[in-house]
Amino acid sequence: MPPVVALDRISKSYDTKVAVRELSFAIEPGSMFGLLGPNGAGKTSSIRMMVGITMPDTGQVNLFGRAFTRDSLKRVGYLPEERGLYKKMKVMDQLLFLGQLHGFSAATASQRAKSWCDRLDILSSADKKTEELSKGMQQKIQFIATLLHDPELIIMDEPFSGLDPVNATLLQDTLIDMKKQGKAVLFSTHRMDQVEKMCDSICLVNNGEAVLAGTMREVKSRYERNRVLLHYEGSDAFLRYEGIAKAKSYPGSVEIELKHGASAQELLHLAAANAAIYKFELVEPSLEEIFIQTVGGRVDA
Amino acid sequence: MHSILLIAKREYVERVRSKVFRITTILVPLGLLVMIGAIALISKKATGLNDIVIASNSPALAATMQDQLKNGEHPPASIQVIAPATEADRARLTAEISANKVDGVLWLTLTPGAAQPTATYYTRSSSDVLAEARLESALGRAAVREQLVQKGMAANEARDLVKPIDISMLQVKHGVAVKTDATRSYFGIYALVMVLYVSVLFYGTDVARSVTEEKGTRIIEVLLSSAPADSLMMGKLLGVGAAALTQVAIWVFLTIAVSGSGLAAQIGMHGLSSLGINATELVFFLIFFLLGFFFYSALSAALGSTANSSQEVQQFAFIIVAPLVIAVFMMSYVITNPTAPLSVVMSLIPPFTPIIMYLRICSQMPPVWQLALSIALMLASIWIMVWLAARIYRIGILMYGKRPNIPEILRWLRYS
Repeated sequence: MPPVVALDRISKSYDTKVAVRELSFAIEPGSMFGLLGPNGAGKTSSIRMMVGITMPDTGQVNLFGRAFTRDSLKRVGYLPEERGLYKKMKVMDQLLFLGQLHGFSAATASQRAKSWCDRLDILSSADKKTEELSKGMQQKIQFIATLLHDPELIIMDEPFSGLDPVNATLLQDTLIDMKKQGKAVLFSTHRMDQVEKMCDSICLVNNGEAVLAGTMREVKSRYERNRVLLHYEGSDAFLRYEGIAKAKSYPGSVEIELKHGASAQELLHLAAANAAIYKFELVEPSLEEIFIQTVGGRVDA
Repeated sequence: MHSILLIAKREYVERVRSKVFRITTILVPLGLLVMIGAIALISKKATGLNDIVIASNSPALAATMQDQLKNGEHPPASIQVIAPATEADRARLTAEISANKVDGVLWLTLTPGAAQPTATYYTRSSSDVLAEARLESALGRAAVREQLVQKGMAANEARDLVKPIDISMLQVKHGVAVKTDATRSYFGIYALVMVLYVSVLFYGTDVARSVTEEKGTRIIEVLLSSAPADSLMMGKLLGVGAAALTQVAIWVFLTIAVSGSGLAAQIGMHGLSSLGINATELVFFLIFFLLGFFFYSALSAALGSTANSSQEVQQFAFIIVAPLVIAVFMMSYVITNPTAPLSVVMSLIPPFTPIIMYLRICSQMPPVWQLALSIALMLASIWIMVWLAARIYRIGILMYGKRPNIPEILRWLRYS
């Protein structure tokens, strides 16, 4: 099966600013893909080229194994960063309009919209105007608008921003359901914890270029397990171990970063000699740390 | 095509269902009728000859004068005659004038042997030229009638002899004599031009406002991921245009219906012609309204796409308003000088065509070639405007932050 999205060295410039430079990645069906990067890194510009809002200056966007055509967009659902809804329009009219725009008949669009509203528990608001609803409700409606035409590729720009935990979980679960049904899901976010939990692969962009890409496992395996979390009682003499690069001490616990090649087991022995050990964990670097380490001080947001 | 129609339908339904649409649909023609009615009433009352008294030492002269006024144009509602009148009457009548009981008193004194009576008119208003002219003309005729009767002519012969004679005016156009419309009323035309101006302006800037709104809520991106920018813009123009046309058609229909009703007759209007409008002019009204709308709304869509908020839309609204205002300022000049070079040239310049050419049509039907040329130029410039607007729109709707300046917009035109 060909990848759902395959970007082949796409570039896009606006006036003098290069928004995206030679970006390539692929998304497989039935997988979840995280597009990460600081503000202004080129995430939205890349997404816009995938959904035909803009055309790349060079390079090629392939959708469903073929070069981009507007026709393939019928199989794509796109949720922009802000609430892309008509404020004065009733929720159901809005969903009908967007469903029809994607090629459904009014009857099918209406039936699908109803079942989705039921699923996300907003059927009672279907006759209200969008502007009368809370931000979370509007976000749900936008979710439905994106998924209404049963797209095989779902692209969401910052889908969870501004949501309360209950709704965020509901929408996260919905996306995971979609993935299980074999759909490809791409979303962009700053929230590394979400990416870590949900994504199969990621691409980290900075200044329009991919600086880190691959499956979650690949990405993490490139970074050493060199961090130790230790809960103890007694002497902290083990902190003088020469393999320690950095240590942050808290009452009863300490976070340690080991030097390259230092042995965690040796540290454990040292510590156990003078103190009671309650917890000893060798932690892999979090995506957040990888992000900060890779993008470094260049993050402006 | 499918998406253009869907978008047009959405725009149309949203506008036609809105409160503003319902309110303006009813209030605008109502306001216009009140205005026209008020003007008609005022012009009728302007002479102040409504309730007058004729006092004279000669009952015969007073009676003739009364008959003359009664059978003249715009007869006063009530004419009292006091003859022979005394100095006591003069004091009493003067008091009645200041008490608002009568509008004026015409005092006629016929001295035996004199050829003409002397006349004094007592009134509250300081100067009433129209009343004076009408009284003078009536009195001159009444005095002649009196003399003729005294010289032995039969009363009805004398009356018929002094009747005013209508002169019919013919204008020689292209070697053929045709009736001029020199005396027709222009209230209706003024009202229609104001409607043209207001609706083109309102619906034109409404396009800009709604483009900016779609941009602000990012709905434009959802739409763009299902339809190309050109379709979105065309759909919007067609939808808003259809809504505007619906409203104007309702107004035109209401005007026809109301002007033919009994209510209109009460304020002195009978059918469309009393408004100074005929059916041809209404057809041209719709044509030039649509041409004007599409020209200005395409411009407005382009401008709207470069703005980030409705406040920014306000800032450039003058680009749309200015040519329309210039055209409206020229209204009375064009009506009175429809064939002057300035009127002809202005009527062929697209931004001014809708109003100026329409005024010319109402004033004096221009030659067919000028009419055809103005419509052709208008269609061509709408085509160019839509093409340019689509290019600016395609880029503008995706640009946020600082508003672009003119050189930047020109660069957009190149790289889309």
